Amino acid sequence: MNATILTRSEAVSVRDAALEGEALWLTPEELTRATEWARTPDGLCRGALCVPVPPAAPWVRDDGAATRVDLVGLARHLGQPVAASPAHRVWAIGESHAALGDRLRSLDAPDFTLPDLDGRAWSLREFRGRKVFLLAWASW
Amino acid sequence: MITVALDSAGAAAAGEWIRAARPTHPALIDAHYDLATRYHLVNVPSAVWIDERGRIVRPAEVAFADNRFIAYTRFDMTRYLDALRDWADKGSASAHVRPPGDRRERLALPTAAHARAATCFRLAEHLHAAGHPEAAVEFFKEAQDLEPESWCYKRQAWALTDAERFYSTTFQDEVKALGGRPYYARPDFPPDAHEERAEP
Repeated sequence: MNATILTRSEAVSVRDAALEGEALWLTPEELTRATEWARTPDGLCRGALCVPVPPAAPWVRDDGAATRVDLVGLARHLGQPVAASPAHRVWAIGESHAALGDRLRSLDAPDFTLPDLDGRAWSLREFRGRKVFLLAWASW
Repeated sequence: MITVALDSAGAAAAGEWIRAARPTHPALIDAHYDLATRYHLVNVPSAVWIDERGRIVRPAEVAFADNRFIAYTRFDMTRYLDALRDWADKGSASAHVRPPGDRRERLALPTAAHARAATCFRLAEHLHAAGHPEAAVEFFKEAQDLEPESWCYKRQAWALTDAERFYSTTFQDEVKALGGRPYYARPDFPPDAHEERAEP
């Protein structure tokens, strides 16, 4: 079935998802497209970060050639919150509070990339070497 | 200076304000509250000071350009602006740049419930934009219940729909429910004998 996976700022459509109870089984290719986690001989890796897959991990199925990963189970294993509306086939995967908190506690300003009205994307890291007064506001 | 509009409706909501301001700084739009999640912002306007090395030298705190909302801030914003100018001038030598330990103490770190709230909010705004406003309300409410301190989650959700009908509340009712507790956390400044103490 089709499903939409929401990460912090992306919405990724997958086509070959299977829903079983709370589990959402994805192919490794679609898992990587939605979350950047890739199945490797070392486990699951995102960039330089790898996590081992325990032998009896209930969120991985290696049935011969057809490997599937349960996105919901993986997120819970990593301490990431999940909010889902299966009726609308949408799953949101958040960041763990530990990761968010550790980054803030480091006092290194979290980077972000956001557009202006003309659609140009700006990243905080472009301003290295200058002081930044970062102000959040809203129209509401 | 970088400004970021937290608005689920994106340019449709924030655009007219940005155009009217004719900004000479980057005026960005955050339709998914990415910045709010990364910096754990619970209200607007909130500002963070970041130095030349990309270090947070003052964590998020309320930052108005004048005192028109002093009933809500209960703080003389001219002190904040003076401090900002002092930092722009003196950098790390400014008395308003606190030692790292003090800055960490001022951080409002997210709990597991807060991280889940951000995820529910993300799902809710997607459902709303995808044409499922009633399904969205369920998750907006969950976000609000998980982090009742976040005015962002409340006010954004109310702004997208009829707040009285779907949330049985109004902004004024919610402010009244504070029962004298402050609407904004007090900025990190020593007490001032002349500070205004107006009630909202």
